[in-house]
Amino acid sequence: MGRNTRREPPSPPSKAALRKPKKKANPLISAKVAHVDYKDVALLRKFISDRGKIRARRVTGVTVQQQREIATAIKNAREMALLPYSTAQR
Amino acid sequence: MRTYEVMVILDPDLEERTVGPSLDTLLNVVRQDGGAVGKVDIWGRRRLAYEIERKHEGIYAVIDLTSTPEAVAELDRQLNLNEAVLRTKVLRTDVD
Repeated sequence: MGRNTRREPPSPPSKAALRKPKKKANPLISAKVAHVDYKDVALLRKFISDRGKIRARRVTGVTVQQQREIATAIKNAREMALLPYSTAQR
Repeated sequence: MRTYEVMVILDPDLEERTVGPSLDTLLNVVRQDGGAVGKVDIWGRRRLAYEIERKHEGIYAVIDLTSTPEAVAELDRQLNLNEAVLRTKVLRTDVD
């Protein structure tokens, strides 16, 4: 038994497991948008994933009311072919 | 009387110059009913996010108008009967 076989002392519980989730800045307030318009494709693109899915509220960090408004706007934009329903080709 | 916003996607094979006048004649339904047509914004040719009737592009137009519900319903019906119209959307702008 050489001195290299000595084990490391157990590491303390990782910091990541204990850390509370950081409060995100509300992107709509920072963008100064009062009413979400389905024609504003550039804004709505921030709230969909690469595959065209609507991002969850825990990801977007907006209020319940705003998330609902965003979701309706995205669905209206999809109907008018401004946004894709899905981009599954990959 | 209510305020509406009508979005229309038109056939990309149309001449863009003729879109304004031909939309205007269709909008007479609203005017005859005592409604008023506000801004007619023709966006022009735009790529569609997905195919509609085997077309990849469309001519977009957004029309603001004040009208009775009946006249808008009739306008929407006539637009959808028109061969050059790929898709329409009518939204009320006075409710939030």
